[in-house]
Amino acid sequence: MTDRDGLPGDGLGHHGGARAPALALRGICKSYGPVVACDAVDLTVHRGEIHGLLGENGAGKSTLMKILLGLVRRDGGTIDHDGTPVEVGGPQEAIALGIGMVHQHFSLVEPLTVWENVTLGDTGKVDRARACEQVREVGARYGLPIDPLAPVSRLSAGERQRVELIKCLRRDPSVLVLDEPTSVLTQAESAELFGVLREVVAGEDRAVILISHKLAEITTATDRVTVLRRGRVAFHSVTAETSAQELARQMVGRDVSLRAEAAALGMLPVERRGGRKQEEAPEPGVEPALRLSGITVRSDGVPLLDDFSLEVAPGEILGLYGVEGNGQATLGDVLSGLVEPAAGTIEIGGTPVDPARPGALHRAGLGIIPEDRHASGVVLDMSVADNLVMKSLEGVSGRLLIDRRKTHELARRLATEFNIITSSLDNPVRSLSGGNQQRVVLAREMSANPSVLVAAQPTHGLDVGAIEDMYLRLRKAASSGVAVLLISTELEEVMALSSRIAVISGGRVAGLLPTAEATAERLGMLVGGVAA
Amino acid sequence: MSAADNISTILASGARLTVPLAFAACGEYLAERAGTVNISVEAMMLGGAFGAVAGASVTGSASSGLVVGMLVGLFIGFVHGNLSHRAAVNTFVVGLVLNTLVLGLTSYLIVTGTFTGHQVWQVSVPVLRDIPIVGQVLFVERWPVYLLIGVIPLTWWLVERSRWGLELRAVGEDPQAADVTGIDVNARRRQALLWCGLLAGLGGAYLAVGEVGSFSQNMTAGRGFIVIAAVIFGAWRLGRTLLGCALFGLADAMRLALPALGVSLNSQLLIVAPYLLALVAMLLFAAKDREPRALGKAFQRGTA
Repeated sequence: MTDRDGLPGDGLGHHGGARAPALALRGICKSYGPVVACDAVDLTVHRGEIHGLLGENGAGKSTLMKILLGLVRRDGGTIDHDGTPVEVGGPQEAIALGIGMVHQHFSLVEPLTVWENVTLGDTGKVDRARACEQVREVGARYGLPIDPLAPVSRLSAGERQRVELIKCLRRDPSVLVLDEPTSVLTQAESAELFGVLREVVAGEDRAVILISHKLAEITTATDRVTVLRRGRVAFHSVTAETSAQELARQMVGRDVSLRAEAAALGMLPVERRGGRKQEEAPEPGVEPALRLSGITVRSDGVPLLDDFSLEVAPGEILGLYGVEGNGQATLGDVLSGLVEPAAGTIEIGGTPVDPARPGALHRAGLGIIPEDRHASGVVLDMSVADNLVMKSLEGVSGRLLIDRRKTHELARRLATEFNIITSSLDNPVRSLSGGNQQRVVLAREMSANPSVLVAAQPTHGLDVGAIEDMYLRLRKAASSGVAVLLISTELEEVMALSSRIAVISGGRVAGLLPTAEATAERLGMLVGGVAA
Repeated sequence: MSAADNISTILASGARLTVPLAFAACGEYLAERAGTVNISVEAMMLGGAFGAVAGASVTGSASSGLVVGMLVGLFIGFVHGNLSHRAAVNTFVVGLVLNTLVLGLTSYLIVTGTFTGHQVWQVSVPVLRDIPIVGQVLFVERWPVYLLIGVIPLTWWLVERSRWGLELRAVGEDPQAADVTGIDVNARRRQALLWCGLLAGLGGAYLAVGEVGSFSQNMTAGRGFIVIAAVIFGAWRLGRTLLGCALFGLADAMRLALPALGVSLNSQLLIVAPYLLALVAMLLFAAKDREPRALGKAFQRGTA
């Protein structure tokens, strides 16, 4: 790793010495056991600017911000706030100092109402009328209309983001931190958010730290940018004086050339590309490997999947794209056999499968990489070997006992084939990196020679190298004749891998088009539930 | 005896059997809203019952005994809270241990010590007590019963209207979110258990120095678990929880009254009846979606 920029930190000189920076972090260090999360990180943020904090997963962005908020204790370094050294002991103290944060996973309590959430953490008497009035007032000032009496559980992702913002801004922070704020937002909602942020820095002289791994966002919305790589500051610059390519290179630490990589970074222009065999649409008349017809799942009368129908042909990658929360998780649960649909049929290779019978889908030849790796992909505390053979015990066991030797033989073969890096197959899966954990899931599912592979958000939380590897393996699976259903919220990922793209919106397939005909506009409209 | 008299007798007995449940249920309801399935509510009631009798015996005043009973419940809540929400021991294990410990300890102490019986005085409201059927039920009771008039709205107000209650609810639903907002999750849960201990202790104490006037081995006989059932039956709403308590109290009263009314049923079967009813009621009316989402889940910072 080369640090071409010399000494990182402040010293860009654009904000002069007239005023102390809103926030100056110097030499922040934090280790978790042998893992160094932050290694002498410097970060200076001025009032009146949106400062982008860019980095891959695990680069140390979240740890740095948790230190700033007092959620994690640092090992070393200093924090200056408006020129004064401060010790932040906890979220309450951070709020008192004027440092507010919008967390990546919303920090709202769903069953509580908007006003209750907004006033959570206050002290003194509860005054509902005043709280509601404040919510309306702050909402009106920033163009964030919201009903203070609505329970948060009924709000959309965009509305929840508004509540988070109101909650933070109501306390009049001098520094506002947003951690991956657009990960669950539509494009329109993201645009609204950036509008508010601009108003907050330009009109009210606050400082904003925008944490993101999306280059497009950083280049369009920020004034200055700091890139973190493996716990160190790799690069910093005025945003206007750098380019997406430069930032990508600094983030990854090498030139970004591979399409998969570029797509993973959110850098690819959204346009058609093709030519590869598996990117071609399937021949008409081919019997689909997976046929879902009229799948309906309801929860409390609210349809999660509403007459959902889709066919995936052997040898193709079909991308199912949509904004999070439109039924993808439920579809994953149905295909994992966790949820029994109220109506509809699942056919694999032309044969109907009863999803109510445990293991029926797996036996019929459906492999799945579940969305939540930790909850349903692997058993974290069991060994790598046990996780690898978990679904194919027939091969490694006699009538009564599991043959440890055969288990290890099979596991070793899979680990080699799928490039799973671990010092021992007896290590718990917990000790593996996210990318290796995901490879364990993929290896196990592929070892059963499935005819259908469902990959739900397969690259969530993985670093670029692991994403690239996952893309290659999905392509390989498709070219060997497996029907791959890729469920993803990353447009670039879907565009880069699939031959056809289906858009899921409100639990239904809103549209299905060949990747060649898919443009950002058409997909955007379908995502919004408008026929294109 | 006339039919009206019979009904009045059963209702009065039902009301008296409901009172200890209602006190404890107010406590358990609040603890569960904060995210703790407090199974040591049984220990709190039993400890409160014993403490009341012992306290009354020493001071010679049943009312002072009542206070001692509450303090015993409070202490058990303190122990439970610190073990499960500070030392992070599994809350169910803590509850089981406390239940067993208190049962053993009170059974031992009651046979080794000598205790004189005391009972709190009775309030009989003139005029109102002459209302047919309900008059005797509602207006001729021992004085702690009337504490319920304050305890029930206070519990409701604490949970639904106070700052503390708002934070309790947040902690019971989403401890991670509460934590990043700056609320000390485990402190709130410990505080909720103190409230629960105080009220469950009062419930047990009323059973001993209010209803019976003495202590007997395992005198609560699983009433704490009936209280937990009532909270589930009530789908974590106070009004319905108290309704559940009344239902179970009435079932208990029926059990006692039926033989006296000449209805002969297998007595062992009758003893089982309220518990059976609790089971069926939970099956029929439990509304899982109202359950606090973090109920029974321990919280430690940084484990999310």
